[in-house]
Amino acid sequence: MRGTATPGTGPGLPAVHRTTLLICSFILATALGQMNFTGDQVLRVLARDEKQLSLLRDLEGLKPQKVDFWRGPARPSLPVDMRVPFSELKDIKAYLESHGLAYSIMIKDIQVLLDEERETMAKSRRLERSTSSFSYSSYHTLEEIYSWIDNLVTEHSDIVSKIHIGNSFENRSILVLKFSTGGSQRPAIWIDTGIHSREWITHATGIWIAKKIVNDYSKEGVLTEILNAMDIFIELVTNPDGFAFTHSMNRLWRKNKSTRPGVFCIGVDLNRNWNSGFGGNGSNNNPCSETYHGPSPQSEPEVAAIVNFITGHGNFKALISIHSYSQMLMYPYGHSLQPVANQEELYHLAKGAVKALYKVHGIEYIFGSISTTLYVASGITVDWAYDKGIKYAFSFELRDTGRYGFLLPASQIIPTAQETWLAILTIMEHTRTHPY
Amino acid sequence: MQPRRQPQPASRPGGRRPAAQLFALLLLLDLEAVAVAVPAGAGGPEDAGLGRGLLQQAAQAALHFFNFRAGSPSALRVLASVQEGRAWVNPEKGCKVELVFSTERYNPQEGEEHLGKCSAQVFFKNQKPRPAINVTCTRLIEKKKRQQEDYLLYKQMKQLKNPLDVVSIPDSHGHIDPSLRPMWDLAFLGSSYVMWEKTTRFLRYNLAQLSSVKQWKTHEGAIDFDYTVLLHEFSTQEIIPCRIHLVWYPGKPLKVKYNCQELQTPEGSGTEEGSAVAPAQLSNF
Repeated sequence: MRGTATPGTGPGLPAVHRTTLLICSFILATALGQMNFTGDQVLRVLARDEKQLSLLRDLEGLKPQKVDFWRGPARPSLPVDMRVPFSELKDIKAYLESHGLAYSIMIKDIQVLLDEERETMAKSRRLERSTSSFSYSSYHTLEEIYSWIDNLVTEHSDIVSKIHIGNSFENRSILVLKFSTGGSQRPAIWIDTGIHSREWITHATGIWIAKKIVNDYSKEGVLTEILNAMDIFIELVTNPDGFAFTHSMNRLWRKNKSTRPGVFCIGVDLNRNWNSGFGGNGSNNNPCSETYHGPSPQSEPEVAAIVNFITGHGNFKALISIHSYSQMLMYPYGHSLQPVANQEELYHLAKGAVKALYKVHGIEYIFGSISTTLYVASGITVDWAYDKGIKYAFSFELRDTGRYGFLLPASQIIPTAQETWLAILTIMEHTRTHPY
Repeated sequence: MQPRRQPQPASRPGGRRPAAQLFALLLLLDLEAVAVAVPAGAGGPEDAGLGRGLLQQAAQAALHFFNFRAGSPSALRVLASVQEGRAWVNPEKGCKVELVFSTERYNPQEGEEHLGKCSAQVFFKNQKPRPAINVTCTRLIEKKKRQQEDYLLYKQMKQLKNPLDVVSIPDSHGHIDPSLRPMWDLAFLGSSYVMWEKTTRFLRYNLAQLSSVKQWKTHEGAIDFDYTVLLHEFSTQEIIPCRIHLVWYPGKPLKVKYNCQELQTPEGSGTEEGSAVAPAQLSNF
């Protein structure tokens, strides 16, 4: 077994889902019929044998009904869950105790649970109507992010537009935000976040940065100069299927969700699927591995979409791929220890960017080439970009260094985004002033 | 478990020289205001990178070992930054690292800014886990204060209603309920032992999440804690579930047993286990 939970293809609904289903129907009942479950409890009873089981069945047969089985008496080894109305609690518990039936209280007060659930569901369904009421210091679902994208584009249609560059394996839209003040096919900067779905801080940082760009244009000098000369493209959810999965089933999922006939494990590491040093060291040909590179370069639709888009555009000058965690800023190569031709320039640019980052909140980043700073990794985004002629190709590993790792507290989103933005601005400014 | 005796580094007078085919990688990283300053003569950016990774690896290993050996959830430390280090690589035997690094409290308290300092010798044996470590740390909280905090944590833990339905600490948003913080600290303490044991020259671990609690009770006064954590291994990016069972009482040696599941391969999957009792008194603590 690997990971926290088996990707859900097991037979039947697990108990948690059943409970949720029941709770949902209760909410509906409450909403429609104004029913009140204050003080009602759900008891879990373990019947030792058939005799005890039949005692429980007797309860079921009582008229007027005193209990309501959520999980009825079936076999002695299986727990029995029953909702007991507040008024019947004393009697029912006495009945259970007098017959030696062991029970535990699964839900102490159903109404409290219902109220909490209803509020949570309402909150998550309340897709914000504007980008100014959106919480930048929280993590969001895919639906919330896509809704936010639409709002951003609507509110700032003068400089932002949304481009649909392809579909994921599970057929979700892959979206890119384009920030442009005009011109035609201007030299461009690419930023992607979320290529590894568990790295939630990256999507959150990307969203903040997108908002920062629209806020600062024509108000802040460096950004304004950049946008007057170049276009910026941001792909916020580079791995939408994986991201949805981190919300629904496995918070620590990294890869995409592609499957192949006869292959036991799911997913390809999208940052090993690029056509540069593909299949080399630092990637794995075992489909069950977290760094599985996939059957062939660009086999994954999420990668192919970007390749096609960037190649078709033809005028990208910088590419920044954002990951977490480790606090590092790196340049190619990942697949080889050989330095790239521009190593000297990239080294100094990284040094400057990290210095700018440090000035914001005192966070220390280390920098260097990927293979010497992090580890050897083949088939990665920035190697491909560099080989394609995009000289300023950088990879970020955001906060922290392992204390929280992927589960970075939401309170750190804004500080992380603020410092990262300064580093990115440094790179973009250098790109603008060093045309090639 | 006592660490193996370290071979004397060649620089000390009278020390034994390590075997032939030894080359020294000398790095002095002076980290002050700026993230990295690589002084001249230390080679290009490549050398700095390679050496730096090794130093981070060693610092992390030393800290896991230190935390386990201290046996106290109030005394847990995390790496702040590596200040200086040297490494010797013997292609046949392994890799020895001497380093100095600064630490912070794992659980930072309000208004407290205790930057501790540690010096360590870490010996990574070729291909083998469980590096041999010698580590000394200074400027930590006073023993009395640590004991008080441990006892406070212990009392808080005893008051925890049976938290068997606890799953996922931290939650998806990185949040840990303050009432469950002591449990998390204890889980981290037990995990430190596991992470130290599993660390090699190339494999490095962080605790990603406490995924479930199988048992939480007091047995003869001690906290008896049976739980599962998810460890994150860096170079393979794998998430490794480990079942850990520990027994803790403030001031008494920590007892740990564990069982980790390894990566599923076409050949099959395996488990790895170990157990230990931490020493009660630490002479240089």
